[in-house]
Order: sequence, then structure tokens, then C-alpha cells
Amino acid sequence: MARGKDKKKRKLEKKQEGDDVPKKVPHTLESLREKDETMLANVDEEEKEEAQKDMELDEMSSYFQNAYEPKVLITYSDNPHTKTRIFGKELMRIIPNSLSRYRQRSSVKRIVQSAIRESYTDVVIVNENQKQPNGFLLIHLPSGPTAHFRLSSCKITPELRKDYKEITNHRPEVILNNFSTRLGLTVGRMLGAMFHYEPQFKGRRVVTFHNLRDYIFFRHHRYEFTSDGKRAKLRELGPRFTLKLVSLQQGTFDSKHGDYEWIIAGRRHFMETSRRKFFL
Amino acid sequence: MLKDKQFDIFIASHIGSFKHVKYYTESAKNSKKCLENLVSIKSLEKKDGITAMSWSNEHQTEIILAKKNGVIQYYDTEQGKFTKSYRMDVDTQSIVGVGQHENTLLAGVSSGFVKICAKTNESVITVGGKIDKMRIFQDDTTLFATGGQENDLKVWRLGETEPVFSAKNRPHDWLQLRVPIWVSDLAFMPGQGGNILAICSRYGYVRLYDTRAQRRPVCNVDFQNGMAATCLQPSFDDRQVLVGFGRGQLHQVDLRRGKPDKGYKGSVGGVTDIGINREQRLVVTTSLDRHLRVHSYDTKELVYKLYVTSKPSNVLIQTATSTPLLNPPQFEEKQEEIKEEDSDDLDELFDEMVPVREKRRKKDQNDLETENTKLETKIEDIGEVKPSTEGSTDVGIEDSIEDKEAKIMQLLKSTERQKRRMEKRKREKKAKSVFYNA
Repeated sequence: MARGKDKKKRKLEKKQEGDDVPKKVPHTLESLREKDETMLANVDEEEKEEAQKDMELDEMSSYFQNAYEPKVLITYSDNPHTKTRIFGKELMRIIPNSLSRYRQRSSVKRIVQSAIRESYTDVVIVNENQKQPNGFLLIHLPSGPTAHFRLSSCKITPELRKDYKEITNHRPEVILNNFSTRLGLTVGRMLGAMFHYEPQFKGRRVVTFHNLRDYIFFRHHRYEFTSDGKRAKLRELGPRFTLKLVSLQQGTFDSKHGDYEWIIAGRRHFMETSRRKFFL
Repeated sequence: MLKDKQFDIFIASHIGSFKHVKYYTESAKNSKKCLENLVSIKSLEKKDGITAMSWSNEHQTEIILAKKNGVIQYYDTEQGKFTKSYRMDVDTQSIVGVGQHENTLLAGVSSGFVKICAKTNESVITVGGKIDKMRIFQDDTTLFATGGQENDLKVWRLGETEPVFSAKNRPHDWLQLRVPIWVSDLAFMPGQGGNILAICSRYGYVRLYDTRAQRRPVCNVDFQNGMAATCLQPSFDDRQVLVGFGRGQLHQVDLRRGKPDKGYKGSVGGVTDIGINREQRLVVTTSLDRHLRVHSYDTKELVYKLYVTSKPSNVLIQTATSTPLLNPPQFEEKQEEIKEEDSDDLDELFDEMVPVREKRRKKDQNDLETENTKLETKIEDIGEVKPSTEGSTDVGIEDSIEDKEAKIMQLLKSTERQKRRMEKRKREKKAKSVFYNA
């Protein structure tokens, strides 16, 4: 009863206030996100400086100084089915200077060794389960780190009623959204380091990694500015998929003897303490 | 009452920063302000990462730091600055352990040799195989031990070229396969004269060696597959060690019973180093998720967690002496004053208090009275309904309204509502009458 009355009153008040009052920001899980001490926005100057230095000295820093052109090897779990194969082929069209090869029963460690020998800078391994791609392992070479993602809701171009031939050979622009914690920054840098640092704007292709509540959404668009130049029209080219970080490892792949920088397996209960706590 | 005590923690990191943290047992005093950088961060370069750290003397006043580029520095905690530095050419290798015996400096290099630098001469001991760790025995600094991948534990004495003790691997397993070796960390058990050592391995086992008894391990504890032990520290009781793992677990291992003892939760990344405070019974760990964690040894509870911005590689705990912070944070002394007055305050409080029972009765009476009045007011409300006062229940709103239009609007609304109510009542009456007629 009382609540209903309040509601009416509030509505009346709102009407009297008129339109010039700014709209309140709705409370969402994201806007009420628990404060994370590792977020760059929350730390003081000295720590910010150190975090910057930490990033300057990490394994991806040479990419961000444009010291090399990324060269990516894409491979699969053994005997991939059609969907995974097509997915890999499409990834190959998206990521410039990349090569897709079947695994031929080679172990990840051997793949890493030979990829270093052939001067590849990243290795992507797409895992498959029940004919659906479900894992995404990204290894930065030559000295790590290794990120393991769970891959879900993958839609390849035929499923989106698109044509893969629409994906041109131009180097795409890369948008990395919402990677805010220290861990998120590392993951964002790793994802960014797969693509060439110089996009070809002529192709008007854009690749987005959007982090929303620890799920990283991948979308691939072609854009066109409207005649007044204020907005951009988007056309999705596909594929689309979602990534969720499972672990981040120091060094190249070594799940048995390696050191993990972040791993959620086995400690979910004390890590996921609240719905409003996010790690990326 | 527990007295507030403090001790110092020194943290070295993979990018080369070196920090001093003051830890207070009174948890309210711990904050980010108790952390200080001892190296200027702007000057750091790629090869400045600290790989090994150790005390140079028993008094814990001087720290030896070894960097990736082969530079070894001495930090004096009393003066608060770096005093000496040496350079060793190690090319791509790294220094995995440092130690000091009187005026001799020992440095283990990962490619498999230990450099011994005295004042006048310099000598090298080749260990045979790569080494992952070198540690010096703090009670008798002439002893040191090495171990690494496929290079089992060896104990050496300064001045001798042959090892005092070299471990022998366990017998082949039940499939007649050799047990692989990878010593990732080792420790001399304190108070045993350097005879008893513990090692841990990336292959997931912890072993105890007694140099007097046999070359094979006296005790072996296996962990399940995928538990790569990275660091080890003697625990509070003898024959107990704390072991940190690459996936972030921290366990105490009882080497007398040959079983893992208890685990400490909280770490999200691999544990890089462990330190303990015997007096306060605290376990301090650093891990790759860029945090320093303090656990209470007995209750296994996470007492304190601190974000240290870069990946820490080593940690040292200073208990013998203490080092003041360069800019100590100010604590308010008010709390203590309050505590002194505590007893008087309590007495006064009790004097003022009224026994519970009486109060309740009074309250009950009051409640009854208020309820009665409420009822009366309700009846009054129902009795007189004025359309003009309907909408303006809130005085605040009326004040805020200045436009006449708004007022009119409100009036209209309230009259409308009134109309609706009247209609409803009529309908009800009709319905009743019909029912009555029927």
C-alpha cells in the first residue's frame, strides 16, 4: 500500500520537475561494480607509474613499440569438424598475416617450439567438443604469457546468413573495450597483439573485443559514415563469439609445471564472492 | 590484551622494484600507506628484474639483491640506501641464489655454477647440470646447497671442490621407470646443524634428506599430478615445511608423518615466495597475482592482503631489528585515550540503565495509547473528506509549487479521484441492493 502511494507521489514530483532535470543513471551490476584495487582508475600516482612501467617491461611491450609485425598460427584440436574448420578459416581472414594448419596430432609444446622456430608471434588453438568450438588458447611467443579462454555461442558466417567473401584482405581496426583491471589490461594487450598495429582504414573493417561482466564479446563489422559524418552505419560481417577467461599463465603453455598468474579453477567459491565482482 | 606489534617485510619484484612494507598486528593500522618504494621506478629497465634476495648477516640489517643483468647490490636497512654493488657477467642466465659468508659473496647462476667472490680471489664451482636454486645455511654460512632440473640436491662446503653430500634419486617406480628430478626450491631445516634438508619439486613431491643417514630421501611426500611446487620454507615446528605451488595453493607438509598437513587459501596466482614470522605465528606469501598475503598460521585465516602493483619474486621478513618507514603514516592516538576511560564509562552506563522489564511495560502502554490515537485519527479521516486537501498531503510539495497551473492540475486530479471513488461506492451499493433483492 505504502509503496504504491510513494510511487504515485514520485511520479507527480517527476512531472512537476519537468524535463530539464538530468536523467539518473540506472543501477546495474556494472555501475554498482565492487571497487577493485588493481584498477588503474583507483590507484594513486606512484602506483600508476609502476603499473605503466610494469606494462612497458612485459612480454607484449615490443609489439606496442611497433617492433615487429605479428604472425599468427591458427590450429585446432585433432580431427576438427566442419564448424570448427570454417571458424578457423574465418579467423584466418580476420587476423592479418595468419595461417591455419591442422594439428596432425602434435602436442601444444611442440607446436610452440616449431612456431618459435618459424618466427611466429602468436599461436591460437581452437578446441572442439561435440562439433562445437568450445576452447580458445592464445599463446604469445616467444616467452608467453598463455591465456586460456572458454569459447561459447560461436556463430560462423553461414549461421548468420553472411558470406565469408565479404571479409576483405584489409587489415582491420581493433577496438578493445572495458578492460580495466590489471588482469584485464594484460588480457586486452594479448588480444590486441594478434593484429597488425597499423590498420588499413580503406577496408573500413573493425574488430571489437567488448568486455562485459568478464565475458569478452567478439564482433566484426564493416562501417560506413553517414553523409553528415556524425554517425556510422554498421554491417556485421561475422563470425561472432564470446570468450571467458579460464586461466592466464606465465610463460608458454605448460599446464603441469607452469606458474599461473591467474587461475579460477578450484577457488571459485572464495573468488566469486559477489555478483558485482568482476575480474577483467 | 594483545599489544600492537610490528615487523618489516621486504618485497622484490620481477620488474626490479624493491619495496618495504611495515606490518602491524593490529589490523586497523595496515594500509597502503605502510608501503614504500626503495628504488625509483622511472629508472627501471628490462634487465633490472630481481631474481634472488637474501640477508647478508644474522642481524638482518643488510640485504643482498641479485638482478637479471648480473648486478648484485647491497641494501643497508639501517641507513636506508644501497651501499655496494658488484657486476657479474652472466649473459642470458640468471642468478638463482645469493649468500654471504663473512667477506665472501656466493652467487649461484642458473647455467650450473656457483661463483665465490672473496676480497682478493674469485673462484667458480661447477655444480653439474642446471640449477634452479641455491641457498646458504644461515646458522653455518660455510655450507650451501644447490639443485635444479635433472640435477639433484648437493650440499657444498666453502673451500672444497667436491660436494659434502649429493643426493641419490628414489628407486624406480613400479613400472621400472626412473623418477624424474626437478628441484625447484630447497631449505636447510633450522637447528639441525645443516644435516637435514628439505626440497620441493615441480614434479609435485616434497622430500626430506638426512645427510647423516643415507643419500636417498628419508621421507617423500607426493602430491597429485599438476601440483608444481615452486617454493619452500621451514615451518614453525621441526620437520614441517610450508610449500607453495604454481597454481596458487599453499600447504604445510608434515615430513614426520609424511602427509600434507593443512592448506592456506586465498591466492589466485602461483606462489613465488614464503616468509614466516615465528613470534607472531604468521605466514607471509607473495604470489604472481601481484598480492602480498598474510595468513595466521594456526587458524589458517587470511589476515591481510596488499596489492603490490608488480609481480613479486621474493620476500624477506625482518624480525631481529626493525626499520622505520621513510614517511611514517600518522595514526590518531585518540583510541588509546578512550580505552583508558573505558571502565568509568561502563559504570556510568550501567547506572543510567533502567531494568529491562519495567521499560518494556512502559513501552507496551505507550504502544497501546498510540494505537488508540491512530484509530481515532483514522476515523476522523474517513469522516471528513475535503477535495481541496486530498492532493496536498506533503507540505514540501506545496511549497515547491509556485505555478498556478500545477496547482490547478493537482486539484483537477484530486477531484477526479474523488469522483471515481464516489462512483465505486455507488456501484457497490447497487450490487448490494441487487443481492438483497434477490
